Amino acid sequence: MKPSAETKPRWALVVDLDRCTGCQACVVACHAENNVPVAGESLTAYGRWMHWIIIDRYWEGEYPNVKARFMPVMCQQCGEAPCEPVCPVFATYHNPEGLNAQIYNRCIGTRFCGNACPYKVRTFNWFRPEFPEPLTEQLNPDVSVRSRGIMEKCTFCIQRIRSVEMKARAEGRAPADGEIQPACVQTCPPGALLFGDLNDPASRVSQLARSHRSFRLLDELGTDPAVIYLKGGETNV
Amino acid sequence: MSDPAVSLIALFHEGTQTAEAIDELHSLGIPDDKMVVMTGVPYPERALGRGREWLTLPYIVLAGAVGGFFFGVFLAVVTPHLYRLDVGGHPPVGFPPAAVIVFVFTMMATIVSTFLGVLWEMNFPRFGAAPYHKLVTDGHLALLLECAPSLEAGVRKVLEEHDAHHVGEPERMML
Amino acid sequence: MSDSATATPESQYTERVLLTERKDWEINQAVLQPMIQTGRRFWVLVAGLTAVVTWGVFAWGYLVYWGIGVTGKNRPVYWTLFITTFVFWIGISHAGTMISAVLRLLKADWRRPITRGAEAMTAFALMMAGLYPLIHLGRVWKFYWMIPYPNNRLMWPNFQSPLMWDLVAISTYLIGSTLYLYLALIPDMAMARDHTGGLRYKLYRALALGWRGTEAEWHKLHRALGIFSIAIIPIFLSVHSIVSWDFAVTVQPRWHSTIFAPYFVVGAIYSGLSALATILVLVRKGMRLQEFLRSEHFDALGKLVMVAGLGWIYFWFAGFLVEWYGNEPVVRELIRQEVSGPLAPLFYLQMSANLIPVALLAFRKVRTTPRLLLGVTLLVNVGMYTERLLIVIGSLQRNDIPFNWGTYRPTWVEISIVAMTFAGFALLYTLFSRIVPYVPVWEIKEGRLRYTLRRIGRLLVPTAAEIE
Repeated sequence: MKPSAETKPRWALVVDLDRCTGCQACVVACHAENNVPVAGESLTAYGRWMHWIIIDRYWEGEYPNVKARFMPVMCQQCGEAPCEPVCPVFATYHNPEGLNAQIYNRCIGTRFCGNACPYKVRTFNWFRPEFPEPLTEQLNPDVSVRSRGIMEKCTFCIQRIRSVEMKARAEGRAPADGEIQPACVQTCPPGALLFGDLNDPASRVSQLARSHRSFRLLDELGTDPAVIYLKGGETNV
Repeated sequence: MSDPAVSLIALFHEGTQTAEAIDELHSLGIPDDKMVVMTGVPYPERALGRGREWLTLPYIVLAGAVGGFFFGVFLAVVTPHLYRLDVGGHPPVGFPPAAVIVFVFTMMATIVSTFLGVLWEMNFPRFGAAPYHKLVTDGHLALLLECAPSLEAGVRKVLEEHDAHHVGEPERMML
Repeated sequence: MSDSATATPESQYTERVLLTERKDWEINQAVLQPMIQTGRRFWVLVAGLTAVVTWGVFAWGYLVYWGIGVTGKNRPVYWTLFITTFVFWIGISHAGTMISAVLRLLKADWRRPITRGAEAMTAFALMMAGLYPLIHLGRVWKFYWMIPYPNNRLMWPNFQSPLMWDLVAISTYLIGSTLYLYLALIPDMAMARDHTGGLRYKLYRALALGWRGTEAEWHKLHRALGIFSIAIIPIFLSVHSIVSWDFAVTVQPRWHSTIFAPYFVVGAIYSGLSALATILVLVRKGMRLQEFLRSEHFDALGKLVMVAGLGWIYFWFAGFLVEWYGNEPVVRELIRQEVSGPLAPLFYLQMSANLIPVALLAFRKVRTTPRLLLGVTLLVNVGMYTERLLIVIGSLQRNDIPFNWGTYRPTWVEISIVAMTFAGFALLYTLFSRIVPYVPVWEIKEGRLRYTLRRIGRLLVPTAAEIE
């Protein structure tokens, strides 16, 4: 049964680890789409990178039998997010479509949400982000540029969700399955990322979520994440 | 000096003498509310032979605590419904956070109402001239009394019998 | 029996019987003199502390201008020295209430010379602690959004957040302890008003509110202090519990522990009483208050510190046992870090600095010798600060996903700001001791009324009368 205007969608992302090559195109696309600043090499080494989606990578074995295990990790948009109740000013809250929304200009920078998130996917603007010329020409006008002292994280490209929803509503229909594509989903070369509505049993993500390969990260903590991973073959997790 | 009442102040060295003097002044007919004892040290309640005053302070504190309780309930239970924002995994009003907020505001109101209540009951701050003597804070007990002029001679005799010094018109000092 | 061969039993006890030999006006002068006469050492101390505070304020301005990145914080260690020192100062603030409120209710007379110094310690420690929730904010100029006021953004603070509980609880405690300090101060302001002149007279006169010492005034003051003492105890127990819940409500390994609330409260009592003993030894020396702060006070305080230390050990072990036994992978890694990994020096520093004083304080010699007590209690606070370091920073360095493990290195900004609050506390305290009579004179005189010497057999003992 297709979702009508009455049933709210629950947006979910499926990451197929069998297809992911670790090329990091999603990381670059996210930076471009969401005005995420580049931290630089020394700050990244100190753990201050700003990537909203990052390829978690572990090395196994000794040279020459080294294996890399990797998986893309972004905000899991938890249904029972531990980061939401702890913000003293409601800068992060749960919106009716199941997204964990971050309100940039409400954030006063206590960083409690960063501590509370078990996936540590939240990044903080330690300094005022610099976009050296001519990168300022490339900033996305649909997404605010954050200043220092503000927490940020993956939003499932809510600006793209909204624009498709509005276009669809203007045409008197609901968004079609696969019509909304966050930047990472759009860019992924092997097609490892898929986005859709979990509340629609016919959507691609719903079907994949029921696959025998599916698992969720840190499921035992009870956070009810909306990101579903599909187990890979030998080269991956 | 015949019609208006006479004010006298007398300083004593020691508590027992003061108590005895007060007893004799009672027998002379000077009532308790015309006598004020000022000390630099709090003497136990009935040591000087006078009655204990009834206080409204506990009721002020209770009223303050109740007010604080309701304010806390308002903040914790009512306002989240006025400005509704959902957070993951918890209802807008849960018992533990509400209990913490209600408790803290109750205690805050209790404390503040105790302080303001005691100031109100003591009529503080009261600056301006009042009968006082500086030796009170050096350990002397000051007895301030008002009596009819006819009794003045008898009163002075009683005071001198009990080793009072500095007997005379009380100096109205700027406090 | 008597352990001093030179003093006769009688003179030893008269010295103890709260200055029976001294006249009231002599006590007044003994307390007022150090306030009015300030030597060169005082001004050197004030100048040094002011310099450190000024440097710290500059560092804070630097932090606000450039951003939180000038500290050593990173992902995942989002909270570091600021929150550590915040918890430390809240801990220190607990001793004042312990002494003045709890001991007042228990009618322990040895608290009399100490209460004001303890309450001042609470008030100033809370002021220093209250700075940190502002300092560590990413956008401190928007801090007022945490205050519930109707606004046209239709936004409201989140009362489910432990940081909001912190805000109201610490404000309550700060207001409560300042009012308590002031209320008990009024009769001594009257005493100071009567014995000073010039600018001091004006100040004391304003603060004394026209106090004369009538029976009605004393009765009301006593009643109010009694109510305050009872009311402030739940507050002080709840404040540190709420601060501990800043950590315990998350799912961060090692923070997610139900024992945090009583563990922190007992640790605070331990740390605060030790800080009080440290301060009392220093003030006694600096203001020549040897007559008021005598060996029996330090003896009793030392015993309380020891008991608090035993309580801390119990709660630490209760938490540690369960973590160690559970064998959860990340917790096991955290314990390994502390016991045999890079955090081992700090961990062993914490344990030795917290355990050795408990053992040493069992000896009467240590408790009653000021120099030894000073060393022991300073060690306690070194240990307790390290404990907070390990809880806040040590735990955050490890979490459920190993890719997100990190390390923290402090920077000059953080250290300067931490030093600023230590110097700020000392500065406030030093200035306080010169403006306000340090020893509560009226309480000591009230105590004297109750003590006499009585002969029981061959012993001459001080007895206290059972009056209110």
